[in-house]
Amino acid sequence: MKNLIYTALFSSLLLFSSCNEDEVPATMAVDISLDHIISGQPLELNGKSFTLPSGESFTPKKFKYYISNVKLTNSKTGEIYVESDSYHLISEDGNKSIDLGMIPTSNYDQITFSIGVDEIANGKTDQTGDLDPNSDMAWNWNTGYKFLILEGEFTNAKTEERQGLVMHIGTNANYKTITQSVNGLKAGKATTISLVTNLDELFVDPNSLLLSELESTTIMFGEMADKVAENYSEGFITIK
Amino acid sequence: MKTVSKLLLLLGITFVSACTQDEDLVIPKQEIHYYLPELSSTLQVTGFPQPERNILSVEGVELGKKLFFDPNISGNGKVSCASCHKTELAFSDGISLTNQGVSGNTLHRHSPVIFNIAWQEDGLFWDGGAHDLESLNFGPLTHPDEMGADLNSIITYLENDPEYKKQFDLVFEEEQIQSATLSRAISQYVRSLISQDSKFDHWKKQEASFTEFELRGYQLFQQNCSNCHKEGLFTDEAYHNNGLDQTYPDPPGLEGLYLGRYRITSNPEDLGAYKTPTLRNIALSAPYMHDGRFATLEEVLDHYQYGIKINESLDPQLKEGIHFNESERKALIAFLGTLTDSSFIQKHHRQIN
Repeated sequence: MKNLIYTALFSSLLLFSSCNEDEVPATMAVDISLDHIISGQPLELNGKSFTLPSGESFTPKKFKYYISNVKLTNSKTGEIYVESDSYHLISEDGNKSIDLGMIPTSNYDQITFSIGVDEIANGKTDQTGDLDPNSDMAWNWNTGYKFLILEGEFTNAKTEERQGLVMHIGTNANYKTITQSVNGLKAGKATTISLVTNLDELFVDPNSLLLSELESTTIMFGEMADKVAENYSEGFITIK
Repeated sequence: MKTVSKLLLLLGITFVSACTQDEDLVIPKQEIHYYLPELSSTLQVTGFPQPERNILSVEGVELGKKLFFDPNISGNGKVSCASCHKTELAFSDGISLTNQGVSGNTLHRHSPVIFNIAWQEDGLFWDGGAHDLESLNFGPLTHPDEMGADLNSIITYLENDPEYKKQFDLVFEEEQIQSATLSRAISQYVRSLISQDSKFDHWKKQEASFTEFELRGYQLFQQNCSNCHKEGLFTDEAYHNNGLDQTYPDPPGLEGLYLGRYRITSNPEDLGAYKTPTLRNIALSAPYMHDGRFATLEEVLDHYQYGIKINESLDPQLKEGIHFNESERKALIAFLGTLTDSSFIQKHHRQIN
């Protein structure tokens, strides 16, 4: 839908500028794709087991997270594109792309986005679109959103038993902003920015998680949740 | 989405009007009536706080009321908001910990009264976990042990009901009913529930008189209770550990439920602290405390006199307990009775079929 507006707006611009045929178009189509990998392989839910960095065997069942406040920068010219109302629920079994639509043309060389939702959006849950509380991402007893959900089962190294892992990470302190360099964004040219989300990174760097050693494998609030957020603040989502 | 449709509409309108030049095309639309509730000076409040995104209207309140009493917005079609917030009990339920939710499981907290909520600006729920009514409503609506609703199914139900559809359309002017507007409508109704017409209010305005007994009770209240149950709203809207328990268990599955406001703030001073409940309509809203552990006001006074458990987060004002002799107790309870607002109850009473 957003595309529609932009198309409508910019096609009118095009009409006016179409006399100068050699010029770079005023707008360009940009979208972002996200690939989910774990243990070097594409993520699959409900079946396949993967080896975590700790060596523990893990079967993922649910994986969702918010990407918000997407911004593109041309560091040479200082041109900046900021997506408005920028909240995207990304999930393994749902949407794995972000369509920015037609955006002002520039040789952007940096992308900035955040994992989670910002403090203002996190302060209420009667919202629409990807922030609609029908998505299972809103907490119902402590107003705010889960920024990232990973659920699954692992084999406890000590007891050999299968055990559940529930990671629901949220709270304003765990809203993390990431900036990456991008190549290949050419003014006027339609482009897909390919990002890779590596689930291994939730379990390492700087905090190594050994699930079998954890006091509780329900990680929702408190120190462990903050450690996971520290892990996702770097290396978790990178340019392909 | 909204912007797009508006833009398209505007464009369409521009084209249409450009060709016809006809101004009679405007279809007369039912009007919406925004209003500010009249407030008694005895509430001792300034203004009526409400979020800009959800301003009270007659039609919004009416829609919210319909939703509040409608069991079809629960998972099994049998539980409405009013199941646990009964008008005749000043919107409480008379049960310490209810099991009237869709699962039949017993809840861990007592249903609070829900009037004069507009002025609870520092968090809702016993521990203040909800920032505002609009966000809070999704708790009871979706909790598997409360109304257990699937939001998408409720929206489908509402969308398919022509009357609801019309009402939502009028109040929120959106092409589709959303969970956000569902919650906003309910919030408007709840925010409109204002209790300010008790004997106490009339006495304050010199329209009624107190017996000597009630007057004595009022003085005792002022001396012993009014720091937390601040006159006006009869709550300071703050959180206190009032010495109910020595220690607080923290079973892993319950996400810190027994820790009080600490669960929300992670501040050790908030361990075992809960929001001061209002004393308005207190005679109707037994049992008492966040878990409904005290059946009567006498038991509550017993607690403050003999039962205070001292630990590090206890509100220091309660260290020595609060002592009343028998006749003082009776006087105090008589005064609390003057806070019962029968006309509020009558005004909002509605038979649930």
